[in-house]
Amino acid sequence: MSSTENLNLLPPLIESGRFHQLVKAGQTISSSFSPLDNSFSAFITYANTDIPSKEKETKSRTDEEQPIYFSGIDIVPSSERRLFITDTLIIFAAFNNLLLSAENHPVGWLQDDNQVKLMRKLAIDYVNFIKECWVHASQPIPRPEGPLQFSSDHYRSLYTCFSLFVVLYIPEPGYDLAPVGDELMEWLNIHFIEPSTEEGDHLSALEKPWEDESFWPYLTRAILRGLTKSSAFFLGTLLRHESEDLQRLTTTLESLVGNQPRLQEFNAERDFAFSFRRWKDKVKALRIEMDEIPEDRRFDEFDNWWDRLSNIVGILEGRFEVIKRVCEDLGGDWKEVCVAWSIFVDPRMQRQHLPDVVSQVLGDTPPDPTNLEDMIHAALFSGRPAEGLRNASQLDRWLAAHLASIMAPLQLIDAEDDEDADLSTRDEHVLSYADYLHSDPALWRVTVEYMYSCGDVGKDRADEILLRVPLRLQEQNFEEIKIRAGDVVGVLKDVNQTCFQHKREAVRRSVCRIAAQTLVQKKDYGLAVSYCISAEDWVGLGSVVDRVLDEYIINGPQIFSQYAVAIAPSAQKLQTPQGHGLSVHRLVFTVQYAHLHELFERHEYQEAANKIVAIFSQDIVPKSWWAIVLCDAVQLLESGPSLLFSSSSASFMLQKLNEIFVRTSQGSGDDYLIVLSRKLKGGGETEALENLRGVRLALARYFARCTVFSAQ
Amino acid sequence: MIQTGLIPNAHGDLVTDASYDFYGLRLATCSLDQRIKIWQLDEANGTWSTEDDWKAHDAAVSKISWAHPEFGSIIASSSFDRTVKVWEQAAPAAAADQQTNANAGGQSSSRWIERAVLPDARGTVRMVEFAPHHFGLKLASIASDSILRIHECLEQPSLTSWQLVEEIDVQTVADGGWCLSWCKDRYWGEVIAAGCGTSGTIKTSTAVETTNTPSSTAYAITSVAWAPLCGRSYHLIATGGRDGHVRIWKVKPGSDDAAEGDHEAAKWTAASVADFDHHKSAVGRVEWNITGTVLSSAGNDGRIRLWKATAGNVWRPAGSVGVEQATGETSTQTENKDVDMDT
Repeated sequence: MSSTENLNLLPPLIESGRFHQLVKAGQTISSSFSPLDNSFSAFITYANTDIPSKEKETKSRTDEEQPIYFSGIDIVPSSERRLFITDTLIIFAAFNNLLLSAENHPVGWLQDDNQVKLMRKLAIDYVNFIKECWVHASQPIPRPEGPLQFSSDHYRSLYTCFSLFVVLYIPEPGYDLAPVGDELMEWLNIHFIEPSTEEGDHLSALEKPWEDESFWPYLTRAILRGLTKSSAFFLGTLLRHESEDLQRLTTTLESLVGNQPRLQEFNAERDFAFSFRRWKDKVKALRIEMDEIPEDRRFDEFDNWWDRLSNIVGILEGRFEVIKRVCEDLGGDWKEVCVAWSIFVDPRMQRQHLPDVVSQVLGDTPPDPTNLEDMIHAALFSGRPAEGLRNASQLDRWLAAHLASIMAPLQLIDAEDDEDADLSTRDEHVLSYADYLHSDPALWRVTVEYMYSCGDVGKDRADEILLRVPLRLQEQNFEEIKIRAGDVVGVLKDVNQTCFQHKREAVRRSVCRIAAQTLVQKKDYGLAVSYCISAEDWVGLGSVVDRVLDEYIINGPQIFSQYAVAIAPSAQKLQTPQGHGLSVHRLVFTVQYAHLHELFERHEYQEAANKIVAIFSQDIVPKSWWAIVLCDAVQLLESGPSLLFSSSSASFMLQKLNEIFVRTSQGSGDDYLIVLSRKLKGGGETEALENLRGVRLALARYFARCTVFSAQ
Repeated sequence: MIQTGLIPNAHGDLVTDASYDFYGLRLATCSLDQRIKIWQLDEANGTWSTEDDWKAHDAAVSKISWAHPEFGSIIASSSFDRTVKVWEQAAPAAAADQQTNANAGGQSSSRWIERAVLPDARGTVRMVEFAPHHFGLKLASIASDSILRIHECLEQPSLTSWQLVEEIDVQTVADGGWCLSWCKDRYWGEVIAAGCGTSGTIKTSTAVETTNTPSSTAYAITSVAWAPLCGRSYHLIATGGRDGHVRIWKVKPGSDDAAEGDHEAAKWTAASVADFDHHKSAVGRVEWNITGTVLSSAGNDGRIRLWKATAGNVWRPAGSVGVEQATGETSTQTENKDVDMDT
């Protein structure tokens, strides 16, 4: 995940250490950040102060190429790593749900046994999952998707760290005060296998294995690690040794090793402690027996077997200096010493006492500062989880984020809230991981999931990412058309859902507004209107409707009607005006007006006349459209023989007409005539008024016909 | 740090600015060659290809800025020809309908239409930046006459009429670094940090008041960047100066409850939280990523340096890239290992 700190871009523009020559020539470097994935561009530009002129010395590069370089901060996760990221999200989400449900419970609910049990289960899920990844990464199988981005050893490190964390910090409820030795030894034996199986196989094949130089180290370590089977086997071989003393001692030792009391064999810790004391007395007796053997009988032809045996008995006696020395001789590190302490020196040692022992051991055998895994182990052993996180973040931000997300509810970190800090330690690590995920824009769902699990800072950052998820409405491909036919627009739908899920209404509205704008560009007015309504963006709705009305002015009634049909369903949904103001009125007008033209098209003139009266009396015609609608009425006024308007309706239209004339004479012509003027393609106010005089004439004739009709 | 791509030859002369669109899928570049180019990212392989290319101004183009996409596909460019121009990408349908690119001398291939020319500046225009979208379709520009101008679009769909709504005299010293950056957050209203001249001062300006903020050296500040707030309880403003320093300022707004006329309490205050002199030479540009977690700075040492906040809000170097040839074996090796050329 980490990459080179200082990178030289290719192809280089100038020799090493010569950049000042470019600066002298009035040039410098500049860059800009990409919102897509934290990548950035870099290019050579002019130095800000110099006013560039063709005469100036910028010539030195003008004939050369002007490259733009692109770089990323993090290496984009690929192959197995992507799977690892997306799959562990599932566990993270489950964990997060648990934390969210804590909000509905009293304080301290999370620390309740049941919840801790659940957290432990999820933590173990992580461990098991990492283990699977490690196993998968270790397999020598062909990898068509390319080589692994992270080695199997990396996953092994994650495995050891995470499982150690579970052992030390999330014991089974009720066991937090129980001796920890057995669990630690199990952890050590799983992850740092010693002695090796190969050595065991080699030795077991020998007639007199003690003649092999690896025999005693092997046996000692097997006993140190509590490997009863192989200890028993090789102790058994010693019964063939020529020394009767050794045979005798071995018999006792074999039974001691085989019968060392283990915590899990007891129901009560007290019984375990009692039994351990009695066992230790037997070890002491063995020591006394050993000491009675004279010096000259302590050798065989190869070795001082007595010394070797003494080491083993020293371990069983729980002598710290022996354990430490033996571990060092065997190549074991501080971990082995600490774990052996918890088995032999103080078998009742609890988790809380571990840091004291560890500090004592680390004083003599410090962890390897170049080995991050070891540093994490040391911090966890030492009871310093926050320090463990810092080391973990260097090893893999995934590890730090997921450990921190468990540590926080267990109150291992952030116990004291720093008033000044906007970020908790947990959020810091989770967001750092999310930042890494942002290097792959395709992982946006995962990225925002982690960010939204944080406090305000994280949520606001997630908003920025979510807002910038490309909606891809511009792309015309078959698949998309299929999706759009169902009114569900691919990515946009996902983004909307994510907003709902995390209650980010402001983001959702903003995204809808952007989508509406894009859809208007594509003349997809139907969807644009529904997104405006969804965003409650009434100003935006108004402008979309204006665009549809523009279609009438520019392209005439037929094309206009096609577009208006698309927005009709939205208008129907909004029929009960909820005070959304002008935009909704205008939307309703547009739909009704399109309907009017359909009636014209179908020659349903009576219906059309009724429609005109209706839209005027409902007061939904914008002033700028009065003139247009009145002009439309002319053909109805002039059609015969039946009279399509009642005389009162005709009077009403005359009123509207007069208002236009009056207002225009008062200088407000623009408000009333602008649309008609545009419709007349370049004709000004005069031409528009001319048209309206035609309407007046038609109305006058109509009234005349009314009079004649009523006289008949 | 990893190289992810390359445009081998972007322009016929020095590139003056490169600006990503809202999504980072397109890159607008401008150059001393008076042209603007729009590049499209192919996400499948990380390569960039020219989408549009046209002659935009009668002199070098200095800066370019994208409007928020809720206004459409719009860019503004500032130029040494003393104008700011507003361009709109024609919708595919509209492009067929009407003659594109009204600009004289332009190429017919461009789908970008010149919507407005703002000729108010009495000097070369050095910087232009659209306001955060919640303030409407507005843009701020700063010219070598040291006037910060704010224009607002009066008719949105047509984009043709723009009103000069604000003229702020930032400071009158010639030959400074002219820079500005909008406060991205809505709550505090329209606030701009702008720097100009050689006093080393960045002023935060609202429509009603101007406050001097960081002032520490006698060197010109060449670049200023206002970090996205992103839930923090304070603002961060980064400055780059000719003194070679990259500074990060923690800026706190004046108290809301300040009594009328109590200017001290109402003033914005700034305190330095980081000061880096790694460039050892003038810093030309500072910029934040979208979440305000990474700051980049470009210096006359030929390197783009990144800065990140670490535990306890301590800012630390986070790598760099440069265009010089690598020296020695080690760097060549790391290059071989890490450079991933997708082009």
